[in-house]
Amino acid sequence: MALTDTRPESGTDASAVAPSVVPSPLTIFGTGDHKAVGTFYVLAALVFGIAGWIAATLASAHIIGSGSFLTETTGTQLLQTSKLGLILLVIVPLFLGLGTYVVPLQVGASTVAFPRAAAAAMWTWLLSSGVFIVASFIDGGLGGTRAKSVSLTLFALGGLIVALLLGTVCVLTTAITLRTPGMTLDRVPMFTFSMVVGGAIWLLTLPVLLANVLLIWVDHRYGGGTVFGAASSQFGQVAWITHEPQLYAFLVPGLGIVADIAATLTGARLGQRNLLLFAIGAFAVLSVGAWAQPAIYPNFSEDLVWQAMGLLTLLPLLMLLAGVAAAFKDGKPSLKSPLGLAVVSVVLTFLGVLAGALLVITPFELRTTNFFANGQYVLVIGAALTAAIAGIGYWGPKMTGGQLADGLGKLNVLVTLGGGVLGGISLCVLGFATRFSGLSGSHDTLVVVSAIGTALFAIGSLIAIGSLLSGARKGAPEAGDNPWGTGQTLEWACSSPPPTGNFGDLAVVRSPEPLLDEEA
Amino acid sequence: MTAHVLPPAPPVQRPRVLVVGAAFAAAASFMVFVGLIGVYLTARADVISAGSAWLPKGVSIPLQQPNTMFITLIMTVFTMQWAVAAIAKNDRVNAYLALGLTLMLGIATIVMTTYLWHLMKLDVASGIQGVLIYTITGAHIVMLVLAMLFVALMGLRALGGQFTARQHDGITAAAVFWYAMVAVYALIWISIYVTK
Repeated sequence: MALTDTRPESGTDASAVAPSVVPSPLTIFGTGDHKAVGTFYVLAALVFGIAGWIAATLASAHIIGSGSFLTETTGTQLLQTSKLGLILLVIVPLFLGLGTYVVPLQVGASTVAFPRAAAAAMWTWLLSSGVFIVASFIDGGLGGTRAKSVSLTLFALGGLIVALLLGTVCVLTTAITLRTPGMTLDRVPMFTFSMVVGGAIWLLTLPVLLANVLLIWVDHRYGGGTVFGAASSQFGQVAWITHEPQLYAFLVPGLGIVADIAATLTGARLGQRNLLLFAIGAFAVLSVGAWAQPAIYPNFSEDLVWQAMGLLTLLPLLMLLAGVAAAFKDGKPSLKSPLGLAVVSVVLTFLGVLAGALLVITPFELRTTNFFANGQYVLVIGAALTAAIAGIGYWGPKMTGGQLADGLGKLNVLVTLGGGVLGGISLCVLGFATRFSGLSGSHDTLVVVSAIGTALFAIGSLIAIGSLLSGARKGAPEAGDNPWGTGQTLEWACSSPPPTGNFGDLAVVRSPEPLLDEEA
Repeated sequence: MTAHVLPPAPPVQRPRVLVVGAAFAAAASFMVFVGLIGVYLTARADVISAGSAWLPKGVSIPLQQPNTMFITLIMTVFTMQWAVAAIAKNDRVNAYLALGLTLMLGIATIVMTTYLWHLMKLDVASGIQGVLIYTITGAHIVMLVLAMLFVALMGLRALGGQFTARQHDGITAAAVFWYAMVAVYALIWISIYVTK
């Protein structure tokens, strides 16, 4: 323990006992330990990430040339399932897993709020994910022809959303109620703040998705199946989560991860911190997209509010980028892989949001085909995945107790950058084919490039698993409490991995960087 | 271990974990209905603007039962607050009585809803109206049952002596979720039953 002053009672057991080990699948059954739950979320989401990106690659490969190797229905279902799956089975759970693990540590809490509910949420998510994948495989994807399989998919989707909402409630409640004394909401670390605002947006918008799923299910199962349950309209009713502005809501925690990494690995306090908090908050608010549902509001893309949101989102992002750049200027950047991954995530985020700004400009005619929007999807989801992988590399030593293999992380910098640039930009370029007829002839080439890019993200997810496990291998160098040596926030004040109860006694926090205060 | 260089901590306020968690859960539940009713109002406006009547021929939704349910649920707001106030004064008898009354009125609302479904003679497969109305009212019944389970669980914990005048967050949390459920019904009442 680096901070030794007496910590007042906070309503939870703050006693620290012997450090726990990395959870094994056998020990995790029945546990309510937020660290075990968080780690399991992360590992399972990365495994689903491999499957999801492979599905996206196959869906791209399906439209190359004229010799499709999948039937039209299967190809469409694969694309739709991968788009939904990458959000609900990969990105949200990755951030939720990191949040379940890290947020209690960052706010100085001994546990996550409602630990058993958090564990129940994780298991429900895992079970629903399995059912979703299996049902999708047996022609049950949205719009599938096997009625019972489609019912199963819808049921699993409902379970997924409820589980993710429950997990979000646990993390949000932790950040709001279990903060250590002195840690006001404007002093919480950037990742915790981004989980609070991002989680709040999830809490307000994912229930609307649940409403859509409920209507589809009731009509499909009990109604005539001609309105909400009609095969051709099912995906259209939930597709709004894969479009801007809602798509950005799944990126918000990634912004906090990038800011935390930039502060620690440059060794500088983040200047204009309140402005950065405002930027993250504004980005989150501008990502509320539950109202822009093409199924009930077909002309939403002509709406001035939608167009303004697409353009305005650039502003808070630029503010955040300026803050991160200032940290690079003020500090001494350490060339570690989490920093490289954070930079890649920033680049992909900027490209994704820039693409979104172009998409809303009607004269560009980028909404005529789906290519540009699909390219933007790959950029934004790729940016979110890269931010999560950066977070895994950053907090990995804390999670495993050992130093991660930095070579794997550095390899992932290249892989994720390649994935985003090839997978996203090639489709965005193809989106201009309606304006530049010469591009039409490059259709197959650009789609092949995109498929290579999405395959790279599958490889990146695999490398991230290897990287995390490398910290738990025998013989890995011990991480110590503060493996980067420049940690500023409370998670670096407890041992690695943290003991049960996380902290013994904590001092009253007097600034957003309590560890720097103690050194001073 | 280093020296004690920082000032001692001031007394901390008791974190109201369960109340805040219940408020988040209530907000999420409320948003489900915002989504459902948004679709309902859009679909109804589309049908009416096309020159058709919203409800199919032979279907009518009486107002008496929805009004009775609304009044009943407004009464539960008072009984629930009665329970919170009673437990805050360590008045257990009144707290148990209020919680019991709340649950009974909740059961009465479920019975009245099913009676209304019977009276409406609306088939779920009859079209968009049936799907929307049964989904929304059915989802509200689910929320009501969840709220009743929450109240019953907290009532049992109160019976077990877990709540005191100083620490009764469980009852307060149940009340927060209950009020959200009543607010949802108010939305349903005005959108489906009154403005049909």
